[in-house]
Amino acid sequence: MMTCEKYKNFILTYVDGTITDGHLAELKTHAETCESCREEFERCVLLQDVVRQALSSPLVAEKAGESLVARLSAEPNLRLRPARYGMAFFAGKRAAIAAGILLAVGLFLGFTIGRAGKSARTPLTARVPISVGKIEGTVLVRHEDSDVWQALDAGSNIYLGDTFHSTSKSACALRLDEESTLELNQNSMLILKLYNDETQFFLEHGECTASLESPHGPFFISTPNGRVEALGTEFTVTVTDE
Amino acid sequence: MPESPTMTTETDKQLVKSTLLGETSAFGAIVERYWNMVVALALSKVSDAAEAEDIAQESFLKAYAQLAGLRDPSRLAGWLSKITAQQCSNSLRKTVRHRRAFGCRATPIEALDERPAMTANPGLTQNQIHFVRQTVRRLPEKFRTMIVMRFVANLSTVQIAEQLGKRPGTVRVRLHRAYKLLRKDLAPLLEEVES
Repeated sequence: MMTCEKYKNFILTYVDGTITDGHLAELKTHAETCESCREEFERCVLLQDVVRQALSSPLVAEKAGESLVARLSAEPNLRLRPARYGMAFFAGKRAAIAAGILLAVGLFLGFTIGRAGKSARTPLTARVPISVGKIEGTVLVRHEDSDVWQALDAGSNIYLGDTFHSTSKSACALRLDEESTLELNQNSMLILKLYNDETQFFLEHGECTASLESPHGPFFISTPNGRVEALGTEFTVTVTDE
Repeated sequence: MPESPTMTTETDKQLVKSTLLGETSAFGAIVERYWNMVVALALSKVSDAAEAEDIAQESFLKAYAQLAGLRDPSRLAGWLSKITAQQCSNSLRKTVRHRRAFGCRATPIEALDERPAMTANPGLTQNQIHFVRQTVRRLPEKFRTMIVMRFVANLSTVQIAEQLGKRPGTVRVRLHRAYKLLRKDLAPLLEEVES
């Protein structure tokens, strides 16, 4: 019974698409002798197949690609539009209002803090003066223009455009200067971005806690739902799916 | 199982980059890669297969026009799924207006027959196809996307999470719930197909 529990879990990882080749082979071997697991596994495979068949298109994907390319060549009005920054994000009335407010706040801060004399825009891949502090578990980092996730360690260099991903039961602290840190809690994703020529943090999901020296300058954390400004010396930002 | 999009030689990033440099054939490769997923997403919302293909075509054309605005090309599948959802909503609104104006109704299930259906893989009858699509359409939208991205696009829960900017745990929970609901609702059909 205990063994079957293990194979039922394998079936769930098969549903997830994360089963390893070794476990799949083991599951198939077990299913040959265990009727209950065989039925469960066969039902799972059949369900996936039935859904795929029912939602499939009579038009072969290859033909669809050719037909669309032909249409793009034949119809000159179908062309690539130049990028408008944040086009997808700013779709919709509420987003447009939010964008207006953000722009106003940005302009106000730009004028009052006087960033005019600052150097030209930093390249997006520039190294930033942030170091890695304490790490618990495995935290992954991916540089911009790369598909490879690497394990973050205390000696890692941090660049603009880096994405940090903490998995379950893992966390890390990024040291911004002598007395300021930003802690990324478990199951979170944080991206370093450039905004108004300043390094900014974008919390895609999860939770992070900022501890800042006092008094500190303006400090923001952006999220998919808006930007949060630090008013105190320590604050936590959480982004959930709901 | 179809090959996973990430396992193919050219990455989505490379294809997006080539398309932006003017290579329309690279966009053809993107369409080829995600055609089944986009049609399936449309079919999980609208009942007519021809309408779903029209939606898929329009979604790809919209994606092409707006490709330069795609912030993270490695999340192309997630971006396409959002465009498709938007196109489906537009199409459904048009259909409702059309039905109000002309008093049309959807084809009743009795009018369908037992002939093999017009799909890429004609193993199921038209009635069975209709039943499966209806069952999938009854799922909450967040579950439908998971089912299509997993079973049709063959992305793993980890890849889906990355594409949609969600936590893998959230995707896993939603997928398992959707799977359980489908297993329960499709049980009679699965028995019929098995026998």
